[in-house]
Amino acid sequence: MKKNFKRDIRSLDEVFDYLEGFISSNRLNESTAFVLKFAVEELFTNMVKHNASGPSEISIGLTVEPEKLLVRLVDRENFPFDVTKPDSADVDLGEEQRRPGGLGLYLTKRMVDKIDFEHVGDQSIITFTLDTRK
Amino acid sequence: MFTIEKTSGIVIRLSGRLDASQADSARAVLDTITDSTVVDFKDLEYISSAGLGVLFATQKRLREAGKELTLTSMNAHIRDVFRYARFDVIFRIE
Repeated sequence: MKKNFKRDIRSLDEVFDYLEGFISSNRLNESTAFVLKFAVEELFTNMVKHNASGPSEISIGLTVEPEKLLVRLVDRENFPFDVTKPDSADVDLGEEQRRPGGLGLYLTKRMVDKIDFEHVGDQSIITFTLDTRK
Repeated sequence: MFTIEKTSGIVIRLSGRLDASQADSARAVLDTITDSTVVDFKDLEYISSAGLGVLFATQKRLREAGKELTLTSMNAHIRDVFRYARFDVIFRIE
């Protein structure tokens, strides 16, 4: 299933409703459901912030495959932001040295099983997978 | 749905989903704290990095004044997020 969302942080309620429906109809376990919501929120909000003037809505596609879940976010952008590049967040720094920014993407990459980025034409495509057996 | 409620002078209760669209409402309450405070996570189902950022900023501000937040009753998924972020060394978690 696939759905488009307005490029706005306030779309998150609608995004979560969409995810909850998918989680319920596919009877995903609690752990997979939490990571799905976390990763989609972080990637969606990253697209909203880094491509604020983007012309299109952001598409979120969800596919169940044997023992895994495939999630794809698609955005039109001219200056691609490759989320798979090294993180700006350093979680090993002490409290005084830590700075905001980058933590959401760091955690997303820590929590999903695989994440890929590609820029094709004017589209940035982020695909991540979750092992549903966990 | 997210709510943040000051239940007494030293306890704040969070419930629902603390996502990026709710971070400002959490910040509005946490910015009023000036003393050491317990934050009760019992009814909080979900938190993202936006929520972590608000809690971290509050902890930093309080620590500078010799105070701190103590976080209680987290569910296992939220506890994992804190652990992955290494926030378990920044906050006292009970």
